[in-house]
Amino acid sequence: MADDDDAAIQFERARRMRNIAIALALGGLVALFFVMTMAHLKGHVVELFQ
Amino acid sequence: MATAATLSLAPRAASVADYLALLKPRVMSLVIFTGLAGIVAAPGHSDPLTAFVALLCIAIGAGASGALNMAYDADIDALMSRTAARPIPLGRISREDALGFGWTLAGGSLLVMTLFVNPLAAGLLAFSIFFYVFVYTLWLKRLTPQNIVIGGLAGALPPAIGWAAVTGSLSPAPLILVLVIFLWTPPHFWALALFRSDDYARAGVPMLPVVKGKPHTRRQILFYAVLLFPVGLLPALIGLGGALSAAVGLIFGAWLVWQATAVLRETDEEREPAARALFGVSILYLFALFAALIVERLIGLHSVFGTWT
Repeated sequence: MADDDDAAIQFERARRMRNIAIALALGGLVALFFVMTMAHLKGHVVELFQ
Repeated sequence: MATAATLSLAPRAASVADYLALLKPRVMSLVIFTGLAGIVAAPGHSDPLTAFVALLCIAIGAGASGALNMAYDADIDALMSRTAARPIPLGRISREDALGFGWTLAGGSLLVMTLFVNPLAAGLLAFSIFFYVFVYTLWLKRLTPQNIVIGGLAGALPPAIGWAAVTGSLSPAPLILVLVIFLWTPPHFWALALFRSDDYARAGVPMLPVVKGKPHTRRQILFYAVLLFPVGLLPALIGLGGALSAAVGLIFGAWLVWQATAVLRETDEEREPAARALFGVSILYLFALFAALIVERLIGLHSVFGTWT
């Protein structure tokens, strides 16, 4: 019974850590896309709206 | 009674560390290093942000190849002591999850490389992933003892990808770096195959020592080590590197050839100490040669023997 509880706790912990890692990776990707887009536009963002 | 070691290897929910293990971090570090050499050696100014993204894509593409290799080779890995503790044979990550993870990373790295670096670098990265997964893993590895010779092309391409990321083109110079890694691969992996030949035989993988025997493998290792020696000097001679690269190529190249002759004379077929040493020396050789190239390019000490780039 105690073993089952330990396994369940470990499973939940592993899943939580995986979710955090996926969130960080997606956040990193969004940041990368943003930074690269800005770098490629080289400050000409305003011209897009003129 | 379960020991700490057996408990740590027992099936459990996959952790982040298991997914990182799927990326083959040690192989990835070598790929990053050789890719960086291609970026640094390329002529002209490289935008640091684009260079960083290119290196990131090369690293993730290599990691994706590793994950896909582990997914498709799970049956082999389970039979070999060297690979039995990988996440898929242990039951921590399913083959399907590994395939999804690998293909997602492969697609993502190619997309980012295409959008933010250039199509040629993305195309070369796609070719290297395709070659490693389909040509090496799914076809040659189970078919021929020349598997790692031909398949080695995939692992040799990062300098060309790095170069293409900076210049948007290719020239003979980065292909010399590719040739160095291509010729380095057989002595490196056949040294491993010598002291892991029982493992490969058990898994039915037709590595050279299993198919042609150890004496033949020892001669082939020496052949490629001798061939690599002059090719390892070419980066310095064409101006990619300088005196330091030439010295490293001479000293470490001679060490590699000397160790290959020790493998040829080896009598202890049980433990293969010379092959174990050669495996280590080969890693040192590649790291030292590419480190010398990177250092010389960064501090401007290359081209002492003229330029050809």
